[in-house]
Amino acid sequence: MSRTRLSAATNTWAIFQREFMALFYSPIAYVVLFLFMISNGWIFYYYCVNYARDPQQITLVIRSLFAFAFFWILPLSPLLTMRLFSEEKRTGTIEVLMTAPVRAAEVVCGKFLATQLFYMLIWSSLLLFVLMLEVLGKPAGPDWGPIKSMYFGLFFLGCMTNSLGLLASTFSRNQLVAAVLSLSGNLLFFSLLFLGWIYRETPELQRLFHYLSFQAHFSSEYIGGVVELRYIVFYLGFTSLFLFLSINMVNGRKWR
Amino acid sequence: MNSLAESRNLIEVDGLVKSYGPVKALQGISFSVGEGEVLGFLGPNGAGKSTTLRILAGFMPGDSGRVSVNGFDVGEDSLAVRNSIGYLPEGVPIYPDMRVGEYLGFRARLKGISRADRKGRIGAALEETQTVDVAGRMIGTLSRGYRQRIGLADALLGEPPVLILDEPTVGLDPEQVRQFRSLLQEVGRSRTVILSTHILSEVELVCSSAAIISGGRLVAGDTVENLKGSLADRICVVAEVSGPHKAVSAAFEALPGVSRVETDRSEDAGDDPGVVYCRYRVFFNDAGQGAETIFDAVSSGGWRLRQLAAEELSLEDVFLDIVGGEE
Repeated sequence: MSRTRLSAATNTWAIFQREFMALFYSPIAYVVLFLFMISNGWIFYYYCVNYARDPQQITLVIRSLFAFAFFWILPLSPLLTMRLFSEEKRTGTIEVLMTAPVRAAEVVCGKFLATQLFYMLIWSSLLLFVLMLEVLGKPAGPDWGPIKSMYFGLFFLGCMTNSLGLLASTFSRNQLVAAVLSLSGNLLFFSLLFLGWIYRETPELQRLFHYLSFQAHFSSEYIGGVVELRYIVFYLGFTSLFLFLSINMVNGRKWR
Repeated sequence: MNSLAESRNLIEVDGLVKSYGPVKALQGISFSVGEGEVLGFLGPNGAGKSTTLRILAGFMPGDSGRVSVNGFDVGEDSLAVRNSIGYLPEGVPIYPDMRVGEYLGFRARLKGISRADRKGRIGAALEETQTVDVAGRMIGTLSRGYRQRIGLADALLGEPPVLILDEPTVGLDPEQVRQFRSLLQEVGRSRTVILSTHILSEVELVCSSAAIISGGRLVAGDTVENLKGSLADRICVVAEVSGPHKAVSAAFEALPGVSRVETDRSEDAGDDPGVVYCRYRVFFNDAGQGAETIFDAVSSGGWRLRQLAAEELSLEDVFLDIVGGEE
């Protein structure tokens, strides 16, 4: 038993390493990172120049920075995950991969974890701006509490969107189809908040939509520095569901 | 096909059926490969070779029938099966963005080779496939022949008892094919190998037995010696004769040792007006005296003979004959 567990860990680790390196081999990662930093850098610059004249405004700058960057939630995971399985299917490498003694779960988990790490690396680039404020904004400096809870939330939200993207990429050998699928999924969750607003007359529905939409938690809770267990349960629940479905898809290999 | 296998069968396929939607790829295939045997899997494109090999390698399940490799059932014990095979898929799909050494390291880890053994095994596989000099190169920049060999090195890594190679020589230049064959012969000495191809000479050179598959069915299977033996005594005599079709065909068919007669009516044009020649291909079961008997038959019928030539039948012809006869 312990031996199979050990081999499962080694296999997952091997897939993880290979997949993480592959992200750096492909131009898409650099393009995403470049666009992410350019857009956020511009917003940071804009807010600093216009509002950061007095030290109390630092919080406003940081909140605005994260509020705008938050929209990257929509395209980021689809861009990072679209090639995970579709590329393997298109080039046929999936055949070599899946005829090695590995379980589908190990492959899915390795790929998922590699994406998750890269995803967090991209988000951590925002910390450069926060550090700038820490160094240059003295004596005031940023409040690190909300930032920590923001990252905490981004991690779990990322679990959900990355696993959704991974599932989408098992559906098609075309990366674009995978990206569009997972982007649609993200938009669906994103738009639930507005659906909640439409049904604001019926509080039960509104509460339900709020609970299911993924940015409601951010605007209200994380930015305020509060982390609620039920939201983490929500994200991890969907993550497990998507990963489970992905494993089934890979196992079911009806493709050709 | 079991002539060499007094011991045990490493690959057993029994009544394997597989369809892709309405397309029936395999319609009940059964064969077995014994320990130390090298089986050549022959067939035209789309006959179901790759499908069979993919099922053997545990890449996808068959619809019905039993398949076992190294004593493990492919459906129930997929992991154990995949642990005992080295598989080289058609077209050698391997990650182009990795270096050769890196890739083999990755594969070695997936195959559960311990860290201590890894370096030695990779070195041995590179040595065996003569690819040591490209170990540091990016796979995407390698030529087709080298990639093929890297694929084979990967298949050999885990020192599996069974090797499954799908069209291992397609796309190689003649020199590479020659090298690849001698490599296969080397490798085949210590392992059970099943390889698919549509090149018959390859089977003659490397394989101990051959199975011919067509339209999803197994149409022939024997040791290479037996197959060649059954071919050696088949001969074809081409005769261009002017005379009544039916009478000439009947006379030829009545000759001793004739298996069948083909008539080519399209070449009816003769030089003399009024005299029409027709080309007949007469197949004999034994090489014997084919041309003489035909000459006798023509002269006793009082017909005119323009050309008489014996054609040696190649393995290729008989393969086409068997495959064509099935359709």
